[in-house]
Amino acid sequence: MKRIFLMMIALSLSLLICGPVRAQHIGPYVGANFGVNLLMDAKATDELGNFNMSYSPALQWSAVVGWDLKPNSSVGEGRVELEYTRRSNSLDSVEFVEGKVSGGGDLTADSLLLNCIGMIRDESSWSPYILIGLGAARLDASGLKVSGQPLSTDTTTVFAYQLGTGVDYALTDALSLDFGYRFFGTTAPTFTEPGGQRFKTDYFSHSVDVGLRVGF
Amino acid sequence: MFRLICAAVAILLLSSCGTETPTRQNDFTPLTSIQIVAAAPSIAVNTSTKLTVIGNFSGLFTRDVTSQAIWSSTAPAVANFVTPTSPSRVTGLAPGPAVLTATVGGQSATFNLMVTSATVSLITITPATPSVPLGQNVQFTATGTFSDGTTQDLTFDATWTSSDATVATVGDTATDEGLAKTLKAGTSTISAAFQTASNSTLMTVTAPVLQSIAVTPANPKALSASTEQFTATGTYSNGTSADITSQVIWSSSQTGIATIAATGKVTTLTQGATVISAALNGVTGNSNLKVTGGNLTGITVTPANPRLVLGTTVQLSANGFFSNGSSRDITGVVGWSVGSPTVGSVSTPGGGVALLTANAVTAAPTTLTATFNAVTGNINLTVAAPLLQSLAIFPASLDLAVGTTGRFTATATFSDGTQQDVTLNANWTASAAGIATVDNTGIVKGRVHGVASGSATVNAAYGGLSAPTAAMMTVRARTLTALTVTPSPATIAIGNPVAFTATAVYSDGTSQNVTEIATWTIDNLNIAAFADSTNQPGQVVGIDTSTAVLTASFGGKSQTVNITVH
Repeated sequence: MKRIFLMMIALSLSLLICGPVRAQHIGPYVGANFGVNLLMDAKATDELGNFNMSYSPALQWSAVVGWDLKPNSSVGEGRVELEYTRRSNSLDSVEFVEGKVSGGGDLTADSLLLNCIGMIRDESSWSPYILIGLGAARLDASGLKVSGQPLSTDTTTVFAYQLGTGVDYALTDALSLDFGYRFFGTTAPTFTEPGGQRFKTDYFSHSVDVGLRVGF
Repeated sequence: MFRLICAAVAILLLSSCGTETPTRQNDFTPLTSIQIVAAAPSIAVNTSTKLTVIGNFSGLFTRDVTSQAIWSSTAPAVANFVTPTSPSRVTGLAPGPAVLTATVGGQSATFNLMVTSATVSLITITPATPSVPLGQNVQFTATGTFSDGTTQDLTFDATWTSSDATVATVGDTATDEGLAKTLKAGTSTISAAFQTASNSTLMTVTAPVLQSIAVTPANPKALSASTEQFTATGTYSNGTSADITSQVIWSSSQTGIATIAATGKVTTLTQGATVISAALNGVTGNSNLKVTGGNLTGITVTPANPRLVLGTTVQLSANGFFSNGSSRDITGVVGWSVGSPTVGSVSTPGGGVALLTANAVTAAPTTLTATFNAVTGNINLTVAAPLLQSLAIFPASLDLAVGTTGRFTATATFSDGTQQDVTLNANWTASAAGIATVDNTGIVKGRVHGVASGSATVNAAYGGLSAPTAAMMTVRARTLTALTVTPSPATIAIGNPVAFTATAVYSDGTSQNVTEIATWTIDNLNIAAFADSTNQPGQVVGIDTSTAVLTASFGGKSQTVNITVH
């Protein structure tokens, strides 16, 4: 993990000192992103009360396919894209009335979002942007455990959204690097416990990633 | 748009900080052992003790699992669980040993209990001679001292009685043994008996004590240079409540922003926030007061430099100018002083009204000063004594609908050629009270009321003269079809007033100003309030930024106006 961060920082610094002006790409593109995801502590509620779930940070990756809008487009500067992302966080601990106990298993979110990205473009190769995305996520509670005992193994599909910001760096007319931050959230998913009762929890995460886009 | 995006981002980020103190017990971690805990390893025969079961969950935490325990005894004739309402309570039935077993979730534990043949020799009741305010309960405990020198809690096994059940009752069932409930002030002897021993203690029930104070209005907003009446309501230990406004000690945390009198009346001085507190017998209630509208920078007094005829009265008005650029009437809060007190006097009958009466002729003008929070406004007062020449009423006639009002004024002309409005000094009469009446007291002198269809005359008398021509009043029965309020909608700056006008529209096409007699309400007085309900009906002043709804009602019709305060 530390090595990945160091590589990202080194790459960012090297790009900061070189900035050839490129022609803007217009049209379709594909890309892939890779980064780190921090799933926030979440409150879970069932008919017996509420408890808190803490997760470990995890890697995430995305694949995008989209369209670079032409400059001065009637809908603004930027691009629209379809993004698939996968992140899988381990349940680190669970807090009940009696205190925290160890957790186990993974909570995996596969999301498919339609992103609208607004960009600020000028003569520079650097283009900051903001992003909003809407779509759906499939949340898979895979062998979630409390003190080694089963908590849930279940799957649900929920409405998902994300807000993000970042900066693009145009390597060539058709090749761009993307350094971004994303806040990702879903409507509250519900999972089944071994006893048959269901608990509802939150799903919000922060992530930073780096990506590469290729235009056609 | 940018603000909208920022707000949405903030809401989403904040919504992610969602953990709370857990309320759910951990029933996932396996229970690996249990332990029985008792107050003592032995009890006397015919007494009981409650056992507790503590569960150990995989060595990670412990929890009381008594309620889940299933109990058994190896010697049920010696000790057994015979109290259905308290399954974990074991009773000694005969002297001897018994092994008690508890089972919870597949885990078991045993406890060796010895039932002795000791007999009780003394009972002690605690608390001794308690004094309790009406409405509060007391849990008594009976401790037995036995023939073998041991002591044991006998609260559950003793028989409890109260000598005066109208003052206090004491429970003697499995769920309320020894629990005394107060019913009225007085004294009662609480007794506990077990076998041949008994004891008692005197319980005194005192008057209910104050437990909390609610200060209203709660967290209000008010303009600077205004007054606000606060009320303190006390809640007592017996659940009753009472208005204790005059009993509490009032205070303001920021006396430079607002002061409060012993009556609970707050006077706001400058813009800011202060906490209004009411305290009594160690109990305090608070209300946060926000003062808006800028700080007072100047005062102007009207009428400017009046020349009054000896013995006449005029209404004074003080207008304040504030640091936020607003200006408004502050007559109700200023203090008045006259340079030569014998020349004139100012009375403040309430409702934001100030009346100046000329008492003595001046050789030279004297100064009349309005003061608030060290800011002053001055005018020069001159009093003369010319001879009254004539009196006239204006307007010469009024046409009113039944149930509405109008105003006449009286103007006197004097020997030096001056004229003065003497409406407040005149004696007003109406010729036919069944058709129209005229107010003849206070600042509403000269106001006429249409009572029934017909005609009447209204006249005024002053200084021995009457108006040579009485005013004509025609009162007509009209059908109200609509009520309009202007301006609508309205935008008001904080601290500035807007005068709304209510107009009644009748079926015959006529209309009449009914501002003075309409009923005015505002849905949120922390946003907009009436400048002065007595003296300036329909005049609204902005308190804080937001929106409010003003409603005027008259003759069964209502009209609302949306007000935006900025």
